[in-house]
Amino acid sequence: MKLTSREEGAVVVLEPRGKIIGGPDATVLREQVRDLTNSGKKKIVIDLAGVDWMNSTGLGILISCLTTLRNSGGELKLARITEKIESLLTITKLVTVFDTYDSAEDAISAFSGD
Amino acid sequence: MPEISENKIVIPSQPALIRDIDEFVEAKLREWGVADTLIADIAICATEIVNNGIYHGNKEDPQKLVTLQLESGEDEIKITITDEGDYFNPDEIANPIAEENLLREVGRGIFIVRQLMDNVTIRQAEGGGTEVTFTKKIA
Repeated sequence: MKLTSREEGAVVVLEPRGKIIGGPDATVLREQVRDLTNSGKKKIVIDLAGVDWMNSTGLGILISCLTTLRNSGGELKLARITEKIESLLTITKLVTVFDTYDSAEDAISAFSGD
Repeated sequence: MPEISENKIVIPSQPALIRDIDEFVEAKLREWGVADTLIADIAICATEIVNNGIYHGNKEDPQKLVTLQLESGEDEIKITITDEGDYFNPDEIANPIAEENLLREVGRGIFIVRQLMDNVTIRQAEGGGTEVTFTKKIA
């Protein structure tokens, strides 16, 4: 998995690419969110358009990112999840836990009311 | 390094080798003409069970192996995955969709496999590890 990021005002958009299925590179996303939170960035969007699918390792990492942010008063939003990931979120009922948006821009805008 | 022979791949319990499992399974299923959406479901499940074998069964001991065997039947794919660790009883896992467990980072693998595949069997392997077999209709 490769990870790039960009900043839109106070919001950081993370763009992982490749499947999130385990192994050493899977933790990069979790570490990046932890580092951003520690440096005061607490509004984060993960744009998942580049992730075809993930397994429960990936879901666990998304939960870890969510918990890290919530514990420090921040917020996580997901954007552009693929059909396969949406199906996994539904099966596992995690669809009730995550805020998901059709585009990164929609997710960024959703922060503005905070 | 992975050892590949026909429809079987054997790996030492190193987490990075999960990529080799995914590549092997996807390539074989594509060769057998399985639809892309089913390939993804089967690969998700294969990587779930192999990760369980690497981390929970074999406890990342590189001396212990995880074996994945693929079989192509008339209308279904069958996968058998075996580790060399202690037998793992799936009944001991907390229900991952219970409200109080939703924010747990682990414990969803077997649940997902049971949801996505048609038949899932978990039993003690002959050598004492865990053997997981699952099938998926492809026609």
